[in-house]
Amino acid sequence: MSDNERIFHQLVKDYSEQLWWHVRRMVGTQEDADDLLQEIFLKVWNALPSFRGESGLYTWIWRIATNETLNWLRKERVRAALRFSSIDAEMERRIQADPFFNGTEAQRELSKAVAKLPEKQRQIFVMRWWDELSYDEISAITGTSVGALKASFHIAQKKIKLNLEELDVSK
Amino acid sequence: MAKRNDISLPEGHLEALQEKLMAIPAQQQEAPRGVRRLAPYLAYAASLAALVLMGNAILRYSAGTANQDEGWDYVSYLAQSLDPDGQIELIAAPQLSDEEIESYLIASNISVEQLYSVTYEEDY
Repeated sequence: MSDNERIFHQLVKDYSEQLWWHVRRMVGTQEDADDLLQEIFLKVWNALPSFRGESGLYTWIWRIATNETLNWLRKERVRAALRFSSIDAEMERRIQADPFFNGTEAQRELSKAVAKLPEKQRQIFVMRWWDELSYDEISAITGTSVGALKASFHIAQKKIKLNLEELDVSK
Repeated sequence: MAKRNDISLPEGHLEALQEKLMAIPAQQQEAPRGVRRLAPYLAYAASLAALVLMGNAILRYSAGTANQDEGWDYVSYLAQSLDPDGQIELIAAPQLSDEEIESYLIASNISVEQLYSVTYEEDY
């Protein structure tokens, strides 16, 4: 086994579960999360020889994962538009029909509200709220300043709150 | 509100997925090796096919069959020599399915905004 293979196997052991949960929240279904995670690790394997160690492996692999996820969402947006639908409607449908969802209705509505956020804001929210990454970690991964991240998270929280309040009014 | 317990994960799912991920290096190394093994044979077959086609075209041209119609250029003659019975339709309109068009648009990195602008232009 080559050094790169050994490093790759260690990366799979160390990060695949955490990244799977991130991707699962972002794409809405288990099948797509599995497929996307395989694409991410394929990218990691192909990019491993050019890894120069300028950032830590943790930051590097997260950066690949977040870029690939945003890329996947962009493609889904186009795919939905071609079917005269929107990605918001598609994500809502996925969350509603998710056979592996076993939370409360409030948790389901929270997931739907998060899915309505703009992609990058949503990614930051998911990383902070569900993946429990620190602002410093998110900053290193996304290249966004901690101040901007805090502002983005605050705005996302407000939007989600507003969204959930509107739902309560309509019920 | 508990954060992660709202989605269940089938037992052994991540372990099975990790095994697939671990197999990526082996899969990636196998594919190029197979192509590399076949490469000399493919090159040989392609050279042979090119020689046969060119030889056939030159022989027929030198035999004078091309002079039957003075308006022909060499490319037309070559096409005729490759397909004397005209069975191959050289310029055929591609029949694309919706899925193929969709895959093309996805792969072309088109944005939703561009997509809307194209649709909008088509309407007017």
